[in-house]
Amino acid sequence: MDCLVCHDTTGTYKKAPPGAGMPDEKVDLKHVAQNVGHSSRASCGSCHFNGGGGDAIKHADMSRQLIEPGRNCDIHMGGYDFSCAECHKTRNHEISGRSSSVPVAEGEVSCVQCHSESPHYSGGFLDHHLNTHSKTLDCNVCHSPVYAKCQPTKTWWDWSKAGDKNRKPVNDKYGQPDYNWMKGEFKWEESAVPDYAWSSGYMNRVLIGDKVDSDADVINLTEPVGSIKDPGSKITPFKIMKAIQPIDAEHDYFLIPHLFPRDKNDTTAYWKVLDWEKAFQDGMAATGLEYSGTYKWVETWMYWRLEHEVMPADMALSCVQCHDSLKGEKTCNRCHQDNRDIDFKKIAGKGTDFSLMKSEGRDVGHLINKTDYINFKALGYKGDPIIHGGRFKKLPMGYKEKK
Amino acid sequence: MIKKIIFFMGVFLFLMPGLSAAEVWKAPDQEKAKERAREVVPFVKEYKDDCLINRRTCLVDAGISIKDVTTVYFVLGSPVIKKREDHYEPVRFAHKRHAALTNDCSVCHHFRPKDENALETTRCSACHQDSFNPDYPERIGLKAAYHQQCMQCHQNQGKGPVDCKGCHLQNVPDHKELVKLPDGADPFQVTAECLRCHDTQADDMLTTAHWLWKGPSPYTTGHRKDIMHGKGTTALNNF
Repeated sequence: MDCLVCHDTTGTYKKAPPGAGMPDEKVDLKHVAQNVGHSSRASCGSCHFNGGGGDAIKHADMSRQLIEPGRNCDIHMGGYDFSCAECHKTRNHEISGRSSSVPVAEGEVSCVQCHSESPHYSGGFLDHHLNTHSKTLDCNVCHSPVYAKCQPTKTWWDWSKAGDKNRKPVNDKYGQPDYNWMKGEFKWEESAVPDYAWSSGYMNRVLIGDKVDSDADVINLTEPVGSIKDPGSKITPFKIMKAIQPIDAEHDYFLIPHLFPRDKNDTTAYWKVLDWEKAFQDGMAATGLEYSGTYKWVETWMYWRLEHEVMPADMALSCVQCHDSLKGEKTCNRCHQDNRDIDFKKIAGKGTDFSLMKSEGRDVGHLINKTDYINFKALGYKGDPIIHGGRFKKLPMGYKEKK
Repeated sequence: MIKKIIFFMGVFLFLMPGLSAAEVWKAPDQEKAKERAREVVPFVKEYKDDCLINRRTCLVDAGISIKDVTTVYFVLGSPVIKKREDHYEPVRFAHKRHAALTNDCSVCHHFRPKDENALETTRCSACHQDSFNPDYPERIGLKAAYHQQCMQCHQNQGKGPVDCKGCHLQNVPDHKELVKLPDGADPFQVTAECLRCHDTQADDMLTTAHWLWKGPSPYTTGHRKDIMHGKGTTALNNF
């Protein structure tokens, strides 16, 4: 049992990659043991920031940036110095939090636990409407309108292209490589607009050995369960991790390759012999499932829910950034007649300042002046709900669309 | 956590001119709250409660509402408390959040300073300071005031934590003297040394997802009652 990996406070502890979990021999374990403390963003992050084999690869909203984040990157960690376990409350070493990427969960964490179900209490005119929105929108729809804000994340991973040691990786505009002979071809995104889907908090998952339709255009390894008709479902932001990966062409279940050589005498590891057949034979033997001997490459998607990198409140999306019906002359005064001392246009328009983010080096130039941010039609609405009505009730004020 | 240690060291650094902590990363909102928590304000010797109806009405009549909340967030802690005992880290307190939930400033701002020039609402640590002050026997200390106020309200409302760790992080004792290891100790010696005291925690650990890499999957359709899925068993990803 390795207590130090979580309780190190010195920042000097690390594991040796081929050591099967054993610490690097260079680490002064006595020094680390004499300085143990609570877990931290750095100690949790030493594993969790590296999902997918490196910093920021899988998690869209977690990276080494969160060890010392800027305030606009993450208000909780960057503004208020929250450690992971302050939200992911721990009881008898069971750490709360549900994950979209893996099935296991030991309790859940949600914004509501601290912020309540009526989290808008500025005392301003919008509180009522914003709290109504909280019944339909996950907080991060407005409060984290882009993901991978401070560090690019991998969004496309084509394993079928791996194996070409002669192909020279080309760096993209973020300085990230498009290729690695061990792993295949990549695409990266920074400050990307999430994919929005209805989510009840439950996930459908394909597990090892599950039969799937291998002829489908795309197979969702994980996907949120939810519906516009379900009052418990909310519009929720996700990063979709897209990939090409191998499936057994006869058994219709996914294949697990043996990648990392066990030792010098290893003759089957893909990263040593570059032979998928051998890697599948060996990898599947470890799972106890048969490999038929034929494989094919299929496209898979994984929905990764965006939970972290919440921005400061004044950087949340504004009304007009989603509701294009409020973009013109008519705003709140579509329904509200009393406009004494109230600048409706200002209230509806003040939101995420993409110009500011761009000036700070973020790749968001195309989002300035964007509206219909979450794409109402794709979510099952007829259009902007202000014009066409919400999911459970029509507008009570009798507004009629102009012909 | 190293940041927290650096912060507590920072109090000393502050007193040592010539040493600059400029390069140490800081979380601005938290830093501001901690600075405020380090302040000791003049003691309010005399208070009054001369509202004819009740304190809440007085505050409402004075036109004080949630819009007047100037400090949204506090860290509840004080040198006054720390000098007596120091077992727990200070508590994060969302001031405006609580003001919105209660919608009643008088819940906490229950009296006001007698000085007419003072603000209608004053901070807890102006009236409540060191405990058991014989000159003010009716006045409970700051630590008692915080605990009485928070815990009673949480109990009455049936929400909010009432246990120590529900609000506080516990200080981790200095392990320099506690840990007895030879130089160049190997990983197994380290684990044995940890377990010398923490055997219960080790037993707990053995049943967790972080040890087993599997566990209950209550939010996975078709597997809501299963307890064996996880990265160590059946979880699949696109690598």
